[in-house]
Formats: sequence, structure tokens, C-alpha cells
Amino acid sequence: MKRIIALTMFLSLLASAALAAALPKLRVGYVPEPAHGLYFLAKEKGYFKEEGVDVELFQFGSAAEGVAAVKAGKLDVGTFGTTAPLLFISKGSEFTFIGGMMVGGQAIITRPERLAELSGKDLKVYKGKKIGLVKLSTGDVIFRGALKKAGIDVKKDLTFVEFGTAAAVVEAVKKGAVDAGLVWPPHFSLAEKNHGLKVSHYIEEFYPDYTCCRIFAHTGKVNADPETYKKFLTALIRAYKFYKTNPDETVKVYTKALKIDEEIIRNETYVNKVADSNPDPLRKGILDFWQHILATGYVPQDYPVDKHINTVIYKQALDSVIKKNPKDKVYQQMLTFYKKNN
Amino acid sequence: MMARLIALLAGLCLMTSAMSFFAAPSAASETPSIRLGYLDQPGSALCRIAAKRGHFREEGLRVELVAFPDSAKGLAALERCAIDAGAFAITDSLRAIAGGKGFRIIAGGGTPVSGDPLAELDDTLPAEIEGRAVVVLIAAGWPDTGKQTMIGLTAALIRAHRTRLLDLQSASAAPGSRLGNPLHFNPNPDYYRLERVWRVLGLQSIAMPRDFLANHVYEEIYCDALDRLLDSSADDPVFKKLSSQSVCTPDCCPVATGKKVPQNKTPGGKNQ
Repeated sequence: MKRIIALTMFLSLLASAALAAALPKLRVGYVPEPAHGLYFLAKEKGYFKEEGVDVELFQFGSAAEGVAAVKAGKLDVGTFGTTAPLLFISKGSEFTFIGGMMVGGQAIITRPERLAELSGKDLKVYKGKKIGLVKLSTGDVIFRGALKKAGIDVKKDLTFVEFGTAAAVVEAVKKGAVDAGLVWPPHFSLAEKNHGLKVSHYIEEFYPDYTCCRIFAHTGKVNADPETYKKFLTALIRAYKFYKTNPDETVKVYTKALKIDEEIIRNETYVNKVADSNPDPLRKGILDFWQHILATGYVPQDYPVDKHINTVIYKQALDSVIKKNPKDKVYQQMLTFYKKNN
Repeated sequence: MMARLIALLAGLCLMTSAMSFFAAPSAASETPSIRLGYLDQPGSALCRIAAKRGHFREEGLRVELVAFPDSAKGLAALERCAIDAGAFAITDSLRAIAGGKGFRIIAGGGTPVSGDPLAELDDTLPAEIEGRAVVVLIAAGWPDTGKQTMIGLTAALIRAHRTRLLDLQSASAAPGSRLGNPLHFNPNPDYYRLERVWRVLGLQSIAMPRDFLANHVYEEIYCDALDRLLDSSADDPVFKKLSSQSVCTPDCCPVATGKKVPQNKTPGGKNQ
């Protein structure tokens, strides 16, 4: 009897190993931010394998290195901001946006004694101020867009001071070299916790649902195997539902993956809700973002980026999930969000 | 076909290279040694300033300057790896790249300044003037392991640009000075400017991928070199101005307390 059980176990192990080996593989690059957490959830909960794709996750600390890895074919999927892939596309790289990961997330930090002066619901509080930022970061591009929308002249009404890293921006705010600084998660939470700085505004307050990290891949790979990318996005859609409905377990999964303080992850993800994770491609947001980059003047010529956005695969993935769960409220909300933003 | 040709050239270059950092480090010195070709004209001034004022040494490089009377001869030397890098005219350099030589542009140099007030009205004329500007290229066989040397070389040229500006400031402050301004210098390779010249010259063929030129303009090296200089001299006005004019991929997301990416793993570092 024992032999039969052992044999059965051995055969089932062999079968699952064979199944995993047979699954199409995707090498996925991400950056260590809580808002990239849908990857960790889809992996941890087994959604990728259930949907029929074997995903290997690779962490990057630099967008330039990450995008270069996608370009060189070392990664099948990249998630490295919006600016970096757009710049590469404008220079001829054949990339296609197929989904999204992070929405919002940028914040303005200041010294506690300046908080009252820089608070309020009007961006005009920043007129005449010196703002530290990382050039062409999402915060830079979107903040300029928000200022423009508010009728503030970015060239005359305030001064931008550029720094190489978010850490350098935090340092400049701390020393009083600038009045305020634009940074992203978890830098502002760490600045609050470690240096006593304060968040004066989240950019989301002035510019709802703006795009941060987008999911993109080499166009040739997407066109050659759209089915695998659909399975990948289906798993992320399911992970999104888990993240929306299971906060405690989600925080634990993110903490394990990122090795960041659990409290910071909980605050950013569920308490302050500084950024949302959403696999929607946000086509309109990408197009807006490109226009804001052009408005900065760093890139001298326009390029039709729209032909590098594929919303069809995501829509097919969402439809397939809704077909299996027609009454699910989260998936219905995702459909409404998709219709509004694409 | 083009890729095979470039690979073949790179292979030949590696076999015949005289560059000491390609070979095993000698007992005498571990300092990378580079033979840098330059046009014997004012557009290559940054190379000469970097050598004369010790900027290559500051970057830990031994550089031997080799003068060329024209770009054609210099590019031919670069192709056969008689030199490792060179500062030559944009038009000739881009034509060589379009012809499959496999060079990569890592920095800019001097650009003639148009004295014609009507020049700006003609789209092709600025491109023609820019075509006479100088860019710094590296040979096809430059090894991947030589990235730090490439960054050092570019950083030295940025330092030379700063030195030149400071010298000009001092000279213009001197009584009775009458400085002409025949050249504009910028160590930035500036992909968008090169693309404009590339387009005006009609070098993009149907067979080339859309990013053919971008693959031969190594802007990341310039950005890394500038970052390195700003790390040590964050308040330097010349470096800050160059940084504000550059189009570098932003540092998006490293987290101080996050899990470090193992350097020896590819693609970036496996997390889960």
C-alpha cells in the first residue's frame, strides 16, 4: 500500500514538473515599490501558473538598465516608469505597452515648519517656491502637467532644481536648499519616518489617475505570442481583485517580497492610498504623459506613440475573467475603469 | 547581414587591437591605456584640453593622442583598430555608421557657429553646419567590460569642457580682451541632433531597423559620466547646466531599504 502511495506521489510530482516545464515562460522586470505588488501576489497565489504561464521575476534598481534588458531581449516584460519606455520608443525601440501597474504615487514633501504655508487645495501655494525633483521622473512630468492645468507658468512662477536621485531630493529638502521636493513611494514615507519631513500634497489630488509604471514588452514578442501575454494579464487582473479584497494578506506578501517596513507598506497601500496598483493600460494617460514630456522641451520632436499601445490583449483578458465571474463587482469596476481610460 | 559584418569587424578589431585594456593587465600598470584619434582642427579642442590639463589622468586613464588631417583617415584607423576612439566630423561618422562600421558615439565636441542670420530659416542648413561638428566615437570592438573606461573617457571630456569655459571667463574678464566665438562646444552626444543630421543626409535605409541610429549612440555613457561628476561636485554650475540640458533616463525607483539586486545575476537580479 505504502509503495502504491509513494508511486502515486512520485507520478503526480512528475506530472506537475512536466506541466511547469511545458508552460510558456515570461521573464518580468520590476522595480522594488509596493505598487508593483500585483506581481508578488500573482506569483504567491499561483495565478500565473493557473493561467498557464511560468513567470520569473527580476528586480531592477534602475529604469535605464531595465529598459535596456527588454531591448536586448533579456526580459520579456518590463515595468520601469512611463518616461523611460516612451523615450526609447521615440528613438526607435519597438516596444508596445500592454498593461499597467502603478497609478499615481508621487508626493511633495517639505520641512514640518513649512507645512502650513504649503498646504491647501490650490497649487498656487507653490508660486515663487523652489522645488527639488529628479528630471523626467513621473513626478516631474505630471507636476508640470498639473501646474499647467492650474494656469501656473512653470517657467516663470516657480523654480525647479534638478537632482540625480530621490534620495538627493530628500536631502535637499531636509537641509532647506529647496522649499519642497517631489518624490515617489516609499521615499516620502521613509523621509517622514527617518527625517521628520511632511507630505504637503499628493499629486493625485490635482491630477487623478495619472500613469506611473506601465507594462511593456518587445512588439515582436507581443505579436508573436499574444496568448501568453493575455494569460499573464489575466493573472494580474485576478491579483488586483485579491489586493482589493484581502489587505492583511496582501501587506504580508508585499513585505516578504520587498523587505520594507510592514507599516510603511500598509500605510502607502491601504491607509494613505498614495498609489494604486492596476493592470489597466490607461491608454489616454500614456498619451497625456507623452504630451507633457513634449511640453518640457527635452524632446524636440513629436512621435505617434499611440501605435505602440495595445489595449486589445488586456481587454480580452478582462473579458475572459468577467465571463467566468459575471457578477463580480471588482471586475465590473475594472471594466468601467477600462472604458473611461482607454 | 549588417549584424554579421559588424560582428566580423568587431572580431578583427579585437584580434588586432593595440589597446592595452583589451589585453591582460601588465605588471607595469593597471591603468587603462587608450589611443584617441582627433582631427587636427579646433573642433577637437576638448580632447587636447583633457590631455594637456590632466583630465584623463584625473579619470585614471592613460591616453595617447593621435592627430589626423581628416575624418576619413581617422575613421579608417578606427575601423582597423589602430586607434581605440576618435573625435571626427559628424557627417563622416554617421556615413560610416550607416555603412555598417559598428562605431558607437559616446560624446560630442565642437560645432561651428553659423554667422549667417538667415541660416535658421532653412531646416537643412543647421543640419549641414551640425554635420561639420565633432563627435567622439569608439571602435566596434570595444569590449563590454570596458564600460567604466568609456565613462572615464567621457567624464574627462566633460571636465575639459568645464576647463575651457572657465578659461574663457577668465580671458573675457581681462582688460582689452576680444574673443571670437567660432565654435560652440558641448560634450553631450545629443541623439536628437544626430538624428536630424541622419535624416537630412538620408542615411536611414528601408532595410535598417527604426532604432539603427539609436543603437549607435551610447547616451547612457554620457549620462553616467555626468552623474559621476555631479556625485563629487553637486553644486558645480557647468555640470548642473549640462545635466539640465541632457535627456537621460530618470533614476526611477531604487529603494534604500529594499533588497539589493545581486550584480552577478542576469538580467537584473532574481527576486522570487
